[in-house]
Amino acid sequence: MLCLLVEPLLNYAQTVAPPDTTIASSMNRALSEVIVVGYGAQSKNAVVGAVTSIKAAGIKDRPVASFDQQLQGRAPGVQVSANTGVPGDGIFFRIRGTTSINAGNDPLYVVDGVFINNQSLQKVTTQGQANNPLADINPADIESISILKDATATAIYGARAANGVVLITTKRGTYNSRPKVGFNTYAGVAWAPELWELVTGPEHATIINEAWVNDGKPFATRPFRPKSEGGRGLPEEQPTYDRLHDIFRTGAIQNYDLSLSGGNEKTRYYLSGGYNKQLADIKTNDYQRASLKVNLDQQINDRVRVGTSNSLSRSRRTNARVGDGPQGGILQAALHTPTYLPKFNDDGTYAKWAGFDNLDVLIKYTDMHSISTRYIGNLYAEADILRKLKFRTSWSLDYNDYDEYEYWNSYTNRGSASKGLATSSVSKNIVWVNEQTLSYRTSPGQKHTLGVLVGNSIQGNIAQQTFAQGTNFPSDAYKQIASAATTTASSNRAENRQVSFFSRVEYNYEGKYLAEVNFRADASSKFGTDKQWGYFPSLGVAWRAKEERFLQAVDVISDLKIRANYGLTGNQNGIGNFASRGLWGGGSNYLDNPGTIPQQLANPELGWETTRQWNLGLDLGLINDRISIEFNWYDKYTSDLLLNLPLPVSSGFRTIASNSGEISNKGFELGINTTNIRSRNFIWQTGFNIARNINRIEKLNIPIDASYSVERMAQGYPMHSFYVYRQLYVDSKTGDAVYEDVNKDGKITAADRQMTGQATPKFFGGLNNNVSYKGFDLTVFFNFQWGNKVYNSNRFFHESGGTRDDRRAINKNQLNRWQKPGDVTDVPRITTIGNNYALNPVSRFLEDGSFLRLSSLTLGYTVPALIAKRIHASNIRFYVSSTNLWLLKKYKGPDPEVNVTSDPNVQGYDLGTPPQPRTVQFGLNLTL
Amino acid sequence: MRLSIYLLAGISLLTSSCKKFLDVQPEQQVDASEAITNLGSAETAVNGLYNLLGSDAYYGSNFPALSYLSGGDIQWTGSQSAPQQIANRQLTADNGNVASSWAAIYRTILSANYIIDAIPKLSDPLFSQTKKDQLTGEAYFVRALSYFDLARGWGGVQLILTPTRLPGDHTGIKRSSLEETYQQVLSDLNKAAELLPLTTNRNRATRKTAWALKARYFLYREQTDSADVYATKIISDAANYQLLKPYSAFFAGNVVATAESVFEIGYSVSFKNGHYNWWLPPALGGRREWAPNAQLVSLLNDPTVGGNRNALIGQTAPPGNLWYGKLYYRTPTGTDPAYLIRIAELYLIRAEARAKNGQLTEALQDLNAVRDRAGIAPGTADTKEAILLAIEQERRLEFAFEGDRWFDLVRTGRVAAVLGVTDRNRYVFPIPADELLADKALDPNPGY
Repeated sequence: MLCLLVEPLLNYAQTVAPPDTTIASSMNRALSEVIVVGYGAQSKNAVVGAVTSIKAAGIKDRPVASFDQQLQGRAPGVQVSANTGVPGDGIFFRIRGTTSINAGNDPLYVVDGVFINNQSLQKVTTQGQANNPLADINPADIESISILKDATATAIYGARAANGVVLITTKRGTYNSRPKVGFNTYAGVAWAPELWELVTGPEHATIINEAWVNDGKPFATRPFRPKSEGGRGLPEEQPTYDRLHDIFRTGAIQNYDLSLSGGNEKTRYYLSGGYNKQLADIKTNDYQRASLKVNLDQQINDRVRVGTSNSLSRSRRTNARVGDGPQGGILQAALHTPTYLPKFNDDGTYAKWAGFDNLDVLIKYTDMHSISTRYIGNLYAEADILRKLKFRTSWSLDYNDYDEYEYWNSYTNRGSASKGLATSSVSKNIVWVNEQTLSYRTSPGQKHTLGVLVGNSIQGNIAQQTFAQGTNFPSDAYKQIASAATTTASSNRAENRQVSFFSRVEYNYEGKYLAEVNFRADASSKFGTDKQWGYFPSLGVAWRAKEERFLQAVDVISDLKIRANYGLTGNQNGIGNFASRGLWGGGSNYLDNPGTIPQQLANPELGWETTRQWNLGLDLGLINDRISIEFNWYDKYTSDLLLNLPLPVSSGFRTIASNSGEISNKGFELGINTTNIRSRNFIWQTGFNIARNINRIEKLNIPIDASYSVERMAQGYPMHSFYVYRQLYVDSKTGDAVYEDVNKDGKITAADRQMTGQATPKFFGGLNNNVSYKGFDLTVFFNFQWGNKVYNSNRFFHESGGTRDDRRAINKNQLNRWQKPGDVTDVPRITTIGNNYALNPVSRFLEDGSFLRLSSLTLGYTVPALIAKRIHASNIRFYVSSTNLWLLKKYKGPDPEVNVTSDPNVQGYDLGTPPQPRTVQFGLNLTL
Repeated sequence: MRLSIYLLAGISLLTSSCKKFLDVQPEQQVDASEAITNLGSAETAVNGLYNLLGSDAYYGSNFPALSYLSGGDIQWTGSQSAPQQIANRQLTADNGNVASSWAAIYRTILSANYIIDAIPKLSDPLFSQTKKDQLTGEAYFVRALSYFDLARGWGGVQLILTPTRLPGDHTGIKRSSLEETYQQVLSDLNKAAELLPLTTNRNRATRKTAWALKARYFLYREQTDSADVYATKIISDAANYQLLKPYSAFFAGNVVATAESVFEIGYSVSFKNGHYNWWLPPALGGRREWAPNAQLVSLLNDPTVGGNRNALIGQTAPPGNLWYGKLYYRTPTGTDPAYLIRIAELYLIRAEARAKNGQLTEALQDLNAVRDRAGIAPGTADTKEAILLAIEQERRLEFAFEGDRWFDLVRTGRVAAVLGVTDRNRYVFPIPADELLADKALDPNPGY
């Protein structure tokens, strides 16, 4: 939402912004820097709120599909975590912690004034994961990203802003400049640096026989005895099949971006086209995106300007079921099928084991894809009504069509009984926004500066889906539902709307004392008539102490600003469109006649969830800003939590949408940027950031278990806390696991589960070093998190002590089991009897998920300008770059940055999740 | 003055158009107050009631699975820990399958309560009293069955007999005793029998269905005379209810609603049953989460014991050679019925009632009718104890995959002798841990 002020400032920003090839740290602050804020832009000096501004050029080292993943470790207080290593898959993104249980925790994303949807439209399941809709945006078109964090920065977005706001500004042309052509490309490879370690066939057989004997059953009838005795053959006769290396491959990535920008006196333009293709390191996933961008601005006369931003993209994903659940689960089939079991039956047909598909079948025949077609556009007009009074109107649209198809042929489990199964789902999501703003800015007598902005906004969101499924195909050659003998279809549609009014008043005295008041009123159709309106004010002040006489003489301090603010923001994202009403729904049919059932209980009192936030900040520049420090302390408190409150199910309802519960987030963020060496030929800059967020559920009447029932939300504990049976030790005399008997009743029951650690890190951040010497540049970027736990559910299945016999693979760690008195280990005696391997979840599988990752390493060389000129280029740079080159972790799985599901209330649950790939790519940046 | 009028007019215009703009109505749901308003909507609500009765978590699969998995003849062969606990009889109060069944039964009761409350009040001229009685009677029947299942599964439970319209409608209700819970079942069954028409319908409740459930009820309540009376009412209706030969005739070949069935839930494309998924091996489109154990396989395969009931099981191709249950096999249509009451059960109910009443010959006759249908020789037991034991054994095989075994052993008190479960606390399932958290008035079942 670039209001009137922003255009001239942006022009300025672009002239001072470093070209793509410089190595200036993204976090480096220049005093003259201009920051995009809500409905406007401000000079860095005038910013009262906590805003992190990031130049996109500084974070492009990671060849990932979406900008949100590129932000990992880059912005203090912003926690970014990829759910899987599959390109274009979901990202966990939190600004200053989790504030809500059911109303959504993602920030508001605004691209050139368009409120965009970031909720996945995926309906055809890949077993827990979901696509990331932000991958539809080509990161190459992004000029800068502003992350608004505190109340002053966000309150103008009121009802949408409790989780922060991410403002994306895309590239625009420059008035009065000659056409500039940019061409950027890279290509490289991706592979999995580490995989799981499974036992051999003979080891598997040994374990199972051991369980048999330990269970007290006769040795003579052990499962792995000679075939002549009716057994499965002796352990040493068992073969070993390595399915994991069948499914992982060397992936390939390539990217091309071509852009043209420029302008004359009255017109400026930016045109670009991009193509990105990523063949994942795990079969059969790949990702392709083609994108087009057109940004235009036209001055009609001295007083009136119009302009437009448009991006059109098409993302095609070839999917696979890599998550939870056996059917069609390609990674599960590879990871969990016991290694001794053959790929083929005696008669040569594909063998299928333990509910899993045959892996060869899945590799060959998995046929799932989705195509996201996305238009994000904005049209604005602005006029100077008076010299200082400006009016702006803008219309925005985010149109997303998500077209999915899957076909399971007769070799697959999903398709075998049904003689082929095909699903088509077409989802549409439309977000439209219309906004008007009036702004006035004046500086009477040069000492006072006053800015006033008022505006209104109306918006709507329409989501609809058409779904069709076919079974019973003539043969595997027919793949479209038109050929199916049995078909079903369905459709659904939902809509919500919002009306808002907002205002901002800024005042500063001599650039020394600054104050800013924001106010927004929002009404949402999701709430009952009397509860529709929510009011969200904020007040912020700042003091630029450096402007005071007593500091002006202190040379070592080049800047000092102290900020404080307080305000309210709201949230209503995640709840249903009609959450406050008592509803009956259809579709519960009987004997092919329509049936209806009660669906939800009314709560006419349902209203907004509100977050209040304090922020205290300090900006300090030392030695001519060679060292610049940004520090924020914040205290957020969310009340009237929109919660699906559990009801006694004897009422017939499981939950009711209610305003119940409170969550606090307190923490600090520290960013330090230094220019360690700056000489004519040699520059070395360092950027470091670290954040700590303490999350606590302050009030929750009833503990609520998250999906998978391993994490529990409970009063007095942070979100994403694990709730497990705690294994104290393995008795070295008996080999039995000893669990903590919390209530001392002599039995291990559900009452003995306890809160044990959390999935969110205690500290997280990044460390960046840029070095340039003559034409060479080197960037080394680490990101880290510390203090978080991961539930390794693969181990739960892989170390099941013989209880899963021929149904699950066994891992190497199972071999460390207790075998004889005196053995000291945490892997209990193998048996299917008793609690050694029957309880779930247990702390044995709860592991330290801290890590330090060499996220990216880039070495570039810029051809000297004189040589470049000979081929009419203004800039030529070659580089080689690698991501995830090194990973320090304690976690027993390949990668602790995993999550089985896109469900936001589940974090750090690892089950058949593809790890982050390691990549190496070569690239070229060319500007003509 | 004029300015302020314009201003006021402008503001009121703005607010009224705001209101209109923000008034978005659902297209897939209706407000609860409009759910049951006439004949048509009453019929759809009763359809929805059967849908809930047959949902996955209730008779679709979870509830019968609680019983057959606990019964000692089915082994867990999958990956999920919830069925593992049940099959090993190591239940904890946080078991997911127990919780989902409990919830599904109370959801069914809620729907029944709405119907029982709403229909008698309707004044639709097209809605005859007979039709009202029928639909209300069906709701009474389903509520009776629901409380019966809660009683045999969990003991005495909270009795909720009116619809929940506000969250606080039923707070603070303590559990009723087992006796009171069973009294409620009987009261609903009497009401159902009074309202329902005397017709034959295998997919919906009729007066005969209510009688059949009464027969089972009185057997559980050890009122053997009454059990005999109601079982006889159905058995003597031979024109409609027969033991089909061979055993597989009531399920094989995609048949539905055969003369064997007194009550079964029907499924179709628009309401699928996923029960097969747990039983069938991957090659047949399932996940074989559980399977008959070696003991049951050998009994079913013994021609003198299982007879033609070996049609219940199959074996996968080598080298797997895994046994699996195939009572539920219809993929991908999901049209396997849920068998709630079969005529064979009424024979065995009456056999047991008569044996307990000392009518040994008559008891043996009923038992042998079931044995004969299975293609095995008549039983020769000649004492009451021997006949009761033979009936128990017959039920074990006859209803091997139908959720009878565990309840049967608990009912007869034989669970200690047969399965070695001596802790009486373990004769009922745990009250789900989450429910205890959500409802302070709810007391747990001791021992969990």
